[in-house]
Amino acid sequence: MDSDSKNSGISRRLFLQGSVLTPLALALGGAAISAVYLRPAQAKGFYLRPPGAITEQRFLAACVRCGKCAQVCPYRSIKLAGGEAGVGIGTPYIEPRENPCYLCPDLPCVKACPSGALDRQLREVEKVRMGTAVIIDREGCLSIRGLRCEVCYRQCPLIDKAITLETRHNTRTGEHTIMEPVIHKDKCVGCGICEKVCVRDKPVIVVQQRVIEQKDYYEF
Amino acid sequence: MSFKPWTTARRTVQLLMIALLASPLAGLTVFRGNLAAAELLGLPLADPLAFLQALIGGRVLVLSYLGSALLIVGVYWLLGGRSFCGWVCPVGLITELGDLLRRRMGTGQVTLPLTGNRWALVLVLLVVAVTGLPLFELLSPIGIVSRAIAFVSLMPLLLVAAILLVELLVARRVWCRSLCPLGGLYSLVATVSPLRVGFVAERCTDCNACRTVCPVEEVLQPSLECNHPQVTAGDCSRCMACLDACPSKALTLSLGYRPFSTDPLEGGR
Repeated sequence: MDSDSKNSGISRRLFLQGSVLTPLALALGGAAISAVYLRPAQAKGFYLRPPGAITEQRFLAACVRCGKCAQVCPYRSIKLAGGEAGVGIGTPYIEPRENPCYLCPDLPCVKACPSGALDRQLREVEKVRMGTAVIIDREGCLSIRGLRCEVCYRQCPLIDKAITLETRHNTRTGEHTIMEPVIHKDKCVGCGICEKVCVRDKPVIVVQQRVIEQKDYYEF
Repeated sequence: MSFKPWTTARRTVQLLMIALLASPLAGLTVFRGNLAAAELLGLPLADPLAFLQALIGGRVLVLSYLGSALLIVGVYWLLGGRSFCGWVCPVGLITELGDLLRRRMGTGQVTLPLTGNRWALVLVLLVVAVTGLPLFELLSPIGIVSRAIAFVSLMPLLLVAAILLVELLVARRVWCRSLCPLGGLYSLVATVSPLRVGFVAERCTDCNACRTVCPVEEVLQPSLECNHPQVTAGDCSRCMACLDACPSKALTLSLGYRPFSTDPLEGGR
């Protein structure tokens, strides 16, 4: 019996190494790499980048994933993406419903960025263009339904510029006023404070990707 | 086991680097960032390969960033190029510890040629030029490990685990020896660096203790076999393990450039 096992020419160690551990190593490596790299960059949708971020495509290359912007953020609003972000692994983003950007006047994150992924030309917070707030659920918005909420409007750091209230007659009750928050995307910086403070369980106002303004001749 | 001054110094520096990476977690402001870009006591430091990828892929040039990348290239030129790998890089420390285990297990005997990491460097620069994706910043286990330390982002460590397993079972230290493009870049710097391991031929007893401890033993060959007074290969990480291992002090720390001389008595000292 003893000699039989010797004649097979394969020791226990060699068997373990060749038939168990090596495929395990390859599978683990393959899984790790594909988990990270087979996902498209925007698999999770829109990532709200810190102030001053250059266009997403160039940002993904210019950001060296050092995390300094996140380390200097006094509100810990900036987080670093993990492997779930695909090619965005290690890049900074903001989850406004958790912790929006509070628009520090001295923009420490922009100053901390060494590589120009956050553009140092940006000096004034009013010129930040991270995204744009959008009311995604008009039926859910208490103000539009005629109640007195207006929390997003009151908390907006650019009150009466980025969000204004437009009043109209409440035809449902016949005797009240509807004060509808209206977002002006030319002024909205996309900080996400409105998304954070919205009183509904699921925010009806959220920050989305900025739409580049379309030039046209429809003015009259 | 005898005292190994170089290895002790090196372990201290390696652990200090990990402490620096973790220091912002403790609320300290001495150090910020990681090995891609950092700020130490207000001095900006930058990984030259990360700089190149941001420049080529992101098409942005920040002069202060160029300055700090050049500063780092200058520092590693003075200190021996791949000394980054041997003394600073946390992945170097991890794979070194993995290699101790591998030696004990007696597995993973395959060695790949050292030229691989220069090809990896070419590949990274090509990919970022063509696709705009900073391949090394996406894959880099150095970035993954530093973010795991500084931001407790643990999931991507799977990639590091995979590298360790392959090194443990298949090919000895394959990442650092043959695949890391940053090692490739610093090996180019190292070929012109004035800080080298010197070799005094007349003291050598051919015991081969240095070859056993060297992570890239190919680099010792010209000295041991042809009496070259210095180890000139760029892949020498200046880990100085050979200085600690040599019982007859044939290996020394050598500054400057000593041309190869056929006279054995003019060995590098």
